[in-house]
Amino acid sequence: MFRRPENWAELTPQQRRDIRLERWASGAGIKFDSPETEKGYRARATRLAKAARLEIPDRVPCMVPTGWFPAINAGITLKEAMYNPGKMKRAWLKFVDEYDSDTFDGTIFFQAAVNDFLEAKTMKWPGHGLPDNSHSYQYVEGEYMKAHEYDLFIKDPFDFQLRHLLPRTYGKFEFFADIPSFSSYQGLPQRLMAMCSDPRFIKLARAISKASRAMLEFQKVANETTQAALARGFPMFRGGLAVAPFDVFADNLRGTKGIVMDMYRQPEKIHEAMEFVLPHLLRRAVAMSDMADCPIIMMPLHKGDDTFMSDEQFETFYWPTFRRLLVGMVEEGLIPFPVAEGAYNRRLEVIKDLPRASVIWMFDQTDMANAKKILGDTCCICGNVPVSLAYTGSTREMKEYCRRLIETCAPGGGYILSGGSTFDMAKPENLRAMMEAVEEYGRY
Amino acid sequence: MTTRNLFDFGAQVPDKPAKWEEMTWQEKREARFDRWLNPPDVKFVSSEAEKLYKARVTRFIKAIKLEEPDRVPVMLPTGNSPAYWGGANFRTLMYDYKKGHEIWKKYMKAFGDMDAFNGPGFIPSGKIAEVITSKTQKLPGLGLPENAPMNQFVEGEYMKADEYDLLMLDPSDYNMRVMMPRTSDFFKAFERLPSLRISYGNIWLTAMADPGIRKIFQTLIDMSDEQVKWQMASMEINNYIRSQGYPSLFGGLMAGAPFDHFADALRGTRGIVMDMYRQPEKLHEAMDHQLKLMVETTIKNFPMTQSPVCIMPLHKGDDTFMSDKQFAEFYWPTLRAVFLAMIDEGLVPMPFAEGRYTNRLKQINDTPKSGVVWWFDQTDMAKAKKTIGDICCIVGNVPTSIVMKGTVQQVKDACRKLIEDCAPGGGYILGGGASADTAPMENLQAMMDAAKEYGVY
Repeated sequence: MFRRPENWAELTPQQRRDIRLERWASGAGIKFDSPETEKGYRARATRLAKAARLEIPDRVPCMVPTGWFPAINAGITLKEAMYNPGKMKRAWLKFVDEYDSDTFDGTIFFQAAVNDFLEAKTMKWPGHGLPDNSHSYQYVEGEYMKAHEYDLFIKDPFDFQLRHLLPRTYGKFEFFADIPSFSSYQGLPQRLMAMCSDPRFIKLARAISKASRAMLEFQKVANETTQAALARGFPMFRGGLAVAPFDVFADNLRGTKGIVMDMYRQPEKIHEAMEFVLPHLLRRAVAMSDMADCPIIMMPLHKGDDTFMSDEQFETFYWPTFRRLLVGMVEEGLIPFPVAEGAYNRRLEVIKDLPRASVIWMFDQTDMANAKKILGDTCCICGNVPVSLAYTGSTREMKEYCRRLIETCAPGGGYILSGGSTFDMAKPENLRAMMEAVEEYGRY
Repeated sequence: MTTRNLFDFGAQVPDKPAKWEEMTWQEKREARFDRWLNPPDVKFVSSEAEKLYKARVTRFIKAIKLEEPDRVPVMLPTGNSPAYWGGANFRTLMYDYKKGHEIWKKYMKAFGDMDAFNGPGFIPSGKIAEVITSKTQKLPGLGLPENAPMNQFVEGEYMKADEYDLLMLDPSDYNMRVMMPRTSDFFKAFERLPSLRISYGNIWLTAMADPGIRKIFQTLIDMSDEQVKWQMASMEINNYIRSQGYPSLFGGLMAGAPFDHFADALRGTRGIVMDMYRQPEKLHEAMDHQLKLMVETTIKNFPMTQSPVCIMPLHKGDDTFMSDKQFAEFYWPTLRAVFLAMIDEGLVPMPFAEGRYTNRLKQINDTPKSGVVWWFDQTDMAKAKKTIGDICCIVGNVPTSIVMKGTVQQVKDACRKLIEDCAPGGGYILGGGASADTAPMENLQAMMDAAKEYGVY
């Protein structure tokens, strides 16, 4: 848990960031396996921290984008790993022992058992809508919030979540659609009572109870796994997750079709709703970072890429609230780590409008030379070894691609070598080739 | 502000006519009246009972529409007086749900003709009340003497002066996480509920992993058999009463004035007076917010119910609590908006003006003709008839003191005077100023007699 020093209010954003970063890089609170692993941790974390601050580290840091690769590596399916936390722990630690990387990317966080109990409708996973041997899970987009529900979402969010969204997204919560509103205090205990006497609530309570036990069990093991990886000297370069205000609606609530309609039919409602979620997103990100004692906040981005919207739409709908969220985080000393899925070539000029060395941009299919040219002075960039190459390329091709990336992006510091996306089904030797490349070509 | 399931005397059936949206409010109301007159869920014991039921409902409908019925309809202030007539009291009925049945059945038979009748009202289950404690309500034997004839609300500053914004940000969340733990020790652990405001992931799981919170839900589930027993008992007696030909006047939602929502339940008298001077804009903002929420979540698309009449007890707007100017500024605009929303949905708002509304009469006369039914307690009824008699049906107001302690002749005299003042031209329902929980049967019968003797059109 991060505790602010007493003079926090007087510190500049940079000072705040540095306090957080240094604390994280020192490995405070971690019980290391040995003095060597502690040294290893500090070396890796310092490398990453320097890159984030646009300083020159000993060599280019490398985040092997692990994804669910540890399952394959251990000869188990993703399904086995998801349903059996013990197996997951063994597989992930096996990976840590066998592969070098500057970070530990964390365990699986999708909770299959929990979603089984609650009958999640928004996800598919191995054994539940996907073949048993799938190596990923899938989000099922839909219009989970109706076009006319923006006002409800803003004016009575609890009610919206409970009586509208949950029944649509979880089978077990369906009956919440029939319970009376909680928006009035008078008679509330009676209404709760009536809700609890519905046999469907009793079923739900049983499911929740089972699910919460499964969740705690899973979290406990996941936490042990992370602690063990840290103890072996691999830092977690992630203190939490956040998303762009636009994506809250485009991904989770309205879906692609819905949000496009809204951009034309009720643009002001989108703006109003984004304003509403912005402070919550910010508060949540800060809380997560404090809890994890790590200033880095991963931000997977979706609907703002080159192909989804025009420049004008990006500058109208996507960027303004997103930027304010980024700046809000930066002011609290956090380091937002947006992951620009897809391509961001046309966005580069727009997104450069941020304080220096405040954000790390991870790119998927964006042209990295261009990114370095346009953003290189303002922020650290990261990426973009193609997943296709990791899955199908030879080690020579892999090393070659990494070398070119390093030559393009590393000069002057501010670059982290990584993938365009996660390497769930990569050839093992290609993961090693990445580390070899960075050792060979990435020394400053 | 609304307690939809508390005052539920009949099944709610979503059987609105097609094209509901396109109908005028009068057409919607006619559809609701029609359902009141021909209740699909009532099995009358005889065609005689059915005939009487229809005649009684017709009497009320005509009065509401400012027409002249065959005679002045009567809404007797029976309250829970059958309990006392039958040798029981509020507390015994809290614990013995069936006992109410026997007494009410006998009472009905002994009484004879009535225009409306209902089973025991507002008597909660004692077993449940003992477990699910409340700081805001005292009951006979639970904070009040065992022989107390009714429950008492304990006013307090349950919402703090600086919490209006928090409430408006997320009202349901505020109720669950702030008000519930503050007003009931049973719900104390709800303080630790996570916010549902923007829920990613499985927030309920985190909540239910907390043993205190789990215990609350477990207890609620454990109590559910008792709750079902209590509900069934209340439904059974009311179904029985209906089948014998006695309608209920109330059947819509129970609601109140937005001002009272804050003054009664949240801020208390002292708190609200401070707010009227120190932060009037906040209060207005919050009332508007509450109004919109109430209209959107409760009034709009209100289901078809046995009767469309919505009882609305009013408190802090009476003559003595606030000035005319304050009434015009704080109380009336949002209350009127609630009326209009109800009317638009074909419902019949029936404000119950507790205390005195004589000063207010001139201020409440801008509602659609025949849209609102005003039930008065201590208001000057002759003046009421003169001031709003052209636009609203009025109800009241035989003094509770006379109904409870007066002679039969005194009751009849009071009724006669009222009928002479208020009945001409229609639009009047004879009623009490409040319900008289320990009224002798003969005094209530005297009211019926007076209506038949003096109230025939």
